[in-house]
Amino acid sequence: MNVADMPTDVAAATRTEDLLAAVRAIAQGPLAERAQAIDEGAYPADLLHALGAVGAMSAHIDQPGRPGSYMDAMAAMAEAGKVCGATAFMMWAQAAAALYMDASDNEALHGERLQRHLSGATLGGTGMSNPMKCFAQIENLLLRATPVNGGYRINGTLPWVSNLAAGHYFGAVAAVEGEPGREVMFMLHCDAPGVTLKPCPRFSGMEGTGTYAVQCKDLVIGAGDIVADPCRPYIRRIRAAFVLLQCGIAAGITQGAIDSMWRVEDQLGHVNQYLDDRPDQLQAELDDLLATVARLAETPYDTSEAYFLDVLGARLAGGELCLRAANSALMHQGARGYLMSSDVQRRVREAQFVAIVTPAIKHLRKEVAALCADTLPA
Amino acid sequence: MSSPAAEPPIPYRQYICHACGWIYDEAKGDPDSGLAPGTRYEDIPDDWACPLCQVTKADFSPYTPPVRPAAGAAPRTAAAGPRVAGKAAPGVVIVGGGRAGWAMAEALRALDAALPITLVSGCAADVYDKPLLSVALARRLAMDSLVRETGAEAAERLGVRLMARTQATRICPRTLTLSTTRGTLPFSELVLAHGAQVALPPALPAELCWRINHLDAYRRLRESLGLPDTGVWPAGMSPHVAIVGAGLIGSELANDLALAGCRVSLIDPQPEPLARWQAQGAGQTALRAWQDLPIRFIGSVGVAAVEEAGEHKRLRLSSGEVLQVDQVIAATGLATPHRLADSAGLTWRQGIAVDPVTLATSHPRIHALGDCITIEGQASRYIEPIGRQAATIAAKLVARRQGAGPDACPVPYAHRPAAVRVKTSSCPMTLG
Repeated sequence: MNVADMPTDVAAATRTEDLLAAVRAIAQGPLAERAQAIDEGAYPADLLHALGAVGAMSAHIDQPGRPGSYMDAMAAMAEAGKVCGATAFMMWAQAAAALYMDASDNEALHGERLQRHLSGATLGGTGMSNPMKCFAQIENLLLRATPVNGGYRINGTLPWVSNLAAGHYFGAVAAVEGEPGREVMFMLHCDAPGVTLKPCPRFSGMEGTGTYAVQCKDLVIGAGDIVADPCRPYIRRIRAAFVLLQCGIAAGITQGAIDSMWRVEDQLGHVNQYLDDRPDQLQAELDDLLATVARLAETPYDTSEAYFLDVLGARLAGGELCLRAANSALMHQGARGYLMSSDVQRRVREAQFVAIVTPAIKHLRKEVAALCADTLPA
Repeated sequence: MSSPAAEPPIPYRQYICHACGWIYDEAKGDPDSGLAPGTRYEDIPDDWACPLCQVTKADFSPYTPPVRPAAGAAPRTAAAGPRVAGKAAPGVVIVGGGRAGWAMAEALRALDAALPITLVSGCAADVYDKPLLSVALARRLAMDSLVRETGAEAAERLGVRLMARTQATRICPRTLTLSTTRGTLPFSELVLAHGAQVALPPALPAELCWRINHLDAYRRLRESLGLPDTGVWPAGMSPHVAIVGAGLIGSELANDLALAGCRVSLIDPQPEPLARWQAQGAGQTALRAWQDLPIRFIGSVGVAAVEEAGEHKRLRLSSGEVLQVDQVIAATGLATPHRLADSAGLTWRQGIAVDPVTLATSHPRIHALGDCITIEGQASRYIEPIGRQAATIAAKLVARRQGAGPDACPVPYAHRPAAVRVKTSSCPMTLG
């Protein structure tokens, strides 16, 4: 039977299964072989193109004959994340860039350009860490935009932007000079004149994520690259979806950790029974969280405060759970998990990354506290 | 003698990176990038980059390290409390630092000296008598005199771990944990005592209307009215306050503000104040008592909109009348916030539904008391029942820890209607 002829829910379930089967084939085949190399610094461009080709980083976007499903996009990320957290993180970056382009009113970002991105033919990322922290009053905007004929001249340096290489692009925000409180969001091309990618100091893991500091010197942005101007109303519309998608990374790393506990249960269960956070308990917590995430994934563009609080709460729970799961997996595996070649110790560093990448646990809590506080007259 | 490390004529300064927080210390320089120790910030070339995140000199600003007390000098409240093997021992976690939360902590501590108790409060959890907020001006009570005991002092006295200015965000019934904005707490028993909030109608924007439901908001209202701490305005100064809602709280506040010299417009959709007690003539009694006070009761109207008007606020009434006032207070009734109860899937009936005898919620490990609960669908937001509710829950939880069955309730709660004392000092009333 052709998918197009099936009842909608059956067709959707079939699409989900097909997508996850295709992602699983990549994840447990070539990705599993290269996960350690990626951790140590090898950027897997070919695997990302392959994941894009099977629709692993575009499932959340409405496409002709296929309504977008945020849950499918997160499930695909999780499928890769069980094997390699760094790859799940890059899938998130690519998916976030897709969201920026798709949600923009600028037609120049749609059409062929969006299709090439959705199919993974071209790759991109997100430089939104700094603006997200800026809007949460954690830091100042680092890029400055000076209006020029029909566009802007951009200056400044953005630290730590991921999924980059020559030919890639990412969503960024700059403060408009002379207009306090106004910012412009745009797609920044790594190859554009005035842009320099500068290598970062060596991190303890996730080294193959194409992460650079991006220096802009008189970079000119034209109308075709503007995502939103001004950008605050736009960001209000997409911020929950942006944060929610990250739950896919956390879910994958947590599931990978739980799976690694079961792998030693037969041999070590007699001593592992004395540990905190046993795999069945963690699985029950992960399943609860995924049920919440699935409910939230039905309305990703809800702009209400209550919904955003729920999303922040789910992302927070994901970060905390994957830290506990990865740590407990190492306790369960013992010395074999502590080997430099073990996925179990790598996953501890991946989980720590989920907990510190924007929005980090501390940022999420600060944001939740601010949203919970009473609004009173000034 | 000209070594860069020698004491310089101008002390070395520090500069912080806005992107990553790395600190450039002039004394140390950045030798890896060719900046010798002693290199002044202004001598750093413009193309130098932060060694951690690569942003340039333009994203640095002068940095003065904060002065912090020496380690161990000040108690760290969040870390205090009983611990077993590095983990907080599960015990009773109370959510709410108002009257009900502290009554619960007192009652538990009275029965069990060793029980680990954690109290989570969105505010400082200072102990005060909320009813005093309705009479504080007429009695010339200075703000500081309202606090009977700070939250930290009460916590110390009761041996309670206080997590102040902490929001409780989620209950996980599976793992018996409470997520908060300062970490996740395991509990063996949870008591919800977080109270209710003023329910703002859509026409009253939160950023323009005061709600007097806790001490912080009350303090800020008094400041916004320019009220000296002596409780009397200087001669010739008489701010105009609109109070929306002429129930118990609205009428009491109107009375108190008017006695202190404020001009009050008291607005209500009912034709008279205290309309709930119309049969007892409460509204007419109050209006007679207010005859010589600067209170104007505007009945049978609603508020269509509140807007900012320069320094003032403008209220558009459903009657077409427009009022220009200094401040607006909403006293439009209370509603219990439901997110926390929802996260645990607790049964909800206009509030957290509790058993009328045991005060258990629909989850056997979660009890609730005070303004956040309803019994048979009815809230009873008065002071009197709180002490008895706390005694019931404390006896039950302590008995359970001592091995009694899960349903044993040594001190059953008796639900009875409360008598209401109206603290309109110009005319006190007791209503049933």
